[in-house]
Amino acid sequence: MTDERLGERLERAAREYHRPPATPREEMWARVQAERARRRSTPRVIELRPWVRWSLAAAAVLLVGVAIGRFSAPPPDGRQTAADVAAPPAGPDLAYRVAAAQYLTRTEALLTGFRSDVRRTASDTQFVEQARELLLTTRLMLGSPVAKSPRMKALLEDLEVVLAQIATLPSGRRGEDARLINEAIEQRSVLLKLRTSVPAGTQGAL
Amino acid sequence: MDEREVIARVRAGDGAAERELYDAHVDRIYRLAYRMAGDDELAQDFTQETFIRAFERLDSFRGEAAISTWLHAIATSVVLNGLRKLKRARDRETDLDAADGVAGRGRAAEPDLKDRLHRAIDDLPERYRLVFVMHDVEGYTHEEIGAALGVETGTSKAQLSRARAKLRTALSDFAGEWVS
Repeated sequence: MTDERLGERLERAAREYHRPPATPREEMWARVQAERARRRSTPRVIELRPWVRWSLAAAAVLLVGVAIGRFSAPPPDGRQTAADVAAPPAGPDLAYRVAAAQYLTRTEALLTGFRSDVRRTASDTQFVEQARELLLTTRLMLGSPVAKSPRMKALLEDLEVVLAQIATLPSGRRGEDARLINEAIEQRSVLLKLRTSVPAGTQGAL
Repeated sequence: MDEREVIARVRAGDGAAERELYDAHVDRIYRLAYRMAGDDELAQDFTQETFIRAFERLDSFRGEAAISTWLHAIATSVVLNGLRKLKRARDRETDLDAADGVAGRGRAAEPDLKDRLHRAIDDLPERYRLVFVMHDVEGYTHEEIGAALGVETGTSKAQLSRARAKLRTALSDFAGEWVS
């Protein structure tokens, strides 16, 4: 058979390849609309590959650890060199600093979410549960080497007060209580202090 | 109806304009998706995802090409990615079957020529298959294919030529039976 004839046969037979039925327009339109509505109501979550997640988490722990080291280090004096100031203290405190890094990141996320959520008057159950958990961690941190630094101790004490208020937030009386908690957060500049101890870009990675 | 006007109305949140845009293009997108997927449910999924993405990203459509070209660029990307995911999942299942000792069993009967051709098309590399289906099956021009796939027209022609050559090779042992 010539190439030409095979070509013609191929073309004819190819038209039968996965011959589509009539387009189910209405069915698909309904699904498009439903899916768009669902996506609009669901916050978008960016899924990262596992190795990217782990790399980001490791980098974040390092960054936050360094930041906490700087935050909790005593102010430099004449006897310290620039390298001494820049280098985070090494030694057995590392595990505490990693735990503190994770704790601070989670607490910042909670407080930021709580503040923005007050405006939407959404359910507070989730915040209350997280605050209880973080309050326990705060008390453990206060008794750990992390609290040796006066600045870190002051921050932890502020967080303890705010978290205790959220943890005991009564259901059904949310509006006024939440507003008072937010005022406390602002008056104590808690979020500002938190953010200066957690480097930008590490939030959510831990 | 002026296409630009419809797009402007969709951007302004006009639901009727969204439906107009959908109606104008859904047939070609669905046909292409079905030809590639060979399965109604999958084809519907691909078509649905194409339009969802298009509506979500319409603000990024700059109007340098026709909206159908832009929609086909989304559709071909959705279809190729979807089929890749499906293939990976099927490969994993095949591995499990092989581990269970059920793989490698031959077919009971030789397929006829049409089946053989369709299987040969199925076996083409996805890019070649897409170009072949778009051009030889659905009648797209090389310019349309190039624009949708983001390649030069010459690349589309070259890929079609390679696809046809592969099909000829795959069917060469049947050549005698095709003579009528």
